[in-house]
Amino acid sequence: MREAEKTFISGLREKLVEDKIIDESQLDPDFAKEIVKYGGKDVMTCLQCGNCTGVCPISLKIDYKTRSIIKFCQFGLKKFTLETRWVCATCYRCYEHCPADINPAEVMIALRHIAIREGVIPPFIKMAATNLVKYGQSVKPDPEIERVRKELELGDVPSRDQEYAKVVREINLLVRSTGYDRLIGIESEVKS
Amino acid sequence: MTQYAYFFGCIIPNRYPGIEYAVRWVCGSEGFDLDVADIKEFSCCPVPGIFYSSDKNTWLLLAARNLTLAQNERREILTVCNGCLTSLLKATEYLTDPKSLGKVNRVLSQIGRKYTGIPRKTEGRRRIMEPVKVRHFVDVMINDVGLESIAERTKKPLKNIRAAVHYGCHYLRPTENQTIDDPNDPVNIDKIIETCGATSVEYEDKLDCCGAGGGVRSHVVELANSLTEDKCRNIAEVGADCIVTGCPFCLLQFDNAQKSFTKEGIPAMHVSQFQALAMGIDPISLGFDTHHVSAHSFLRKLRGT
Repeated sequence: MREAEKTFISGLREKLVEDKIIDESQLDPDFAKEIVKYGGKDVMTCLQCGNCTGVCPISLKIDYKTRSIIKFCQFGLKKFTLETRWVCATCYRCYEHCPADINPAEVMIALRHIAIREGVIPPFIKMAATNLVKYGQSVKPDPEIERVRKELELGDVPSRDQEYAKVVREINLLVRSTGYDRLIGIESEVKS
Repeated sequence: MTQYAYFFGCIIPNRYPGIEYAVRWVCGSEGFDLDVADIKEFSCCPVPGIFYSSDKNTWLLLAARNLTLAQNERREILTVCNGCLTSLLKATEYLTDPKSLGKVNRVLSQIGRKYTGIPRKTEGRRRIMEPVKVRHFVDVMINDVGLESIAERTKKPLKNIRAAVHYGCHYLRPTENQTIDDPNDPVNIDKIIETCGATSVEYEDKLDCCGAGGGVRSHVVELANSLTEDKCRNIAEVGADCIVTGCPFCLLQFDNAQKSFTKEGIPAMHVSQFQALAMGIDPISLGFDTHHVSAHSFLRKLRGT
């Protein structure tokens, strides 16, 4: 980190601690490194220009500001970012407009990785992953749609095919090999 | 002639069979007669908003498995969904890194698979490998089929139809992967619409997100719907008859969200369904009855009654 950045970022941090807006014990000094580990870029190089927030479709709607989240990351306020709901639509507009080339969308994805590993797992992740290990696809077959498929003579959806069982076995093996089932807590669904 | 493999993903076969029918019809003998095969072993791409967001290693393994299937058949993947496009494209990019490739292949060897890429040419003794190509349906229509052929096959120009095009974020971005279109001023779907004889209407914030991506729809559905509401308001203002998109997930969002804020709604359809209509398919085969927003008003206008 360049000296100027260090002064800017930690200067503000000290002020926040002094004003008792944040508590020093909440800070995680290695948070930026952790984000890099999960594929995000170095958030310390963020200029806080706010372009990302200006183009973010979600920031327009609710009190979720991309720039603030990147700021939390610079401070090391891990707890705050974990509490943020998963509302990034990964539209990558912020990436196209970032002058520092941080790719905030990828930072959000890295934050999701961290949140999952801290045990914050939204139910839809489990649901989609369960569908994947059961049917080989993230969307469950629907009897009504299967009727329409018959009418259109499209044949069965892949997961109804007998030979598709082999594919499901392969997927179960791959999911187990990375420990993904244990990570998000769907061990009981995965066949060995 | 380029050889393709259909990649329908999860939403199309399980929610919108009409799109599958339209794509098969447009690419098949009654349409442009492309060389497209079915690879039955394809699984979920996997969804970027879920697997790419929660564990990149698992995501890459599952995507690499799909890529090996197309690689063994020496075919280009023809996706019909923006999500599948971005997920598989990103995976081919990750796999150009020898370290990730080695790691992935070690696990894939347990199921008897190996990702190498497709040999394109040889230089002396060395074979030069290229990543498996991942193509979007719109990309294939514009660059491989060409607008002239589309114009030739347009038997029933949809003259009185005003269509609002929605591109969808992952068709345009991130530009670090591959750009099919200008991310700030995309034209391809508009061109297809115009070639089909219809009018593509301009509306405010055309490139805005539908709101569904990245798990927002699954997580906070009200938020996703409020973004869709903004889009639909802009589309209704210019008096469009339908929304045409290249992505089934955006379509699903437009289709499901509209009932939360309006009674009537604007019917949404995939670009392949629109094309098939212009090429003279019977609308009954397009499975519009599986859509939540009724397409009656649109089909009535199409018949000119």
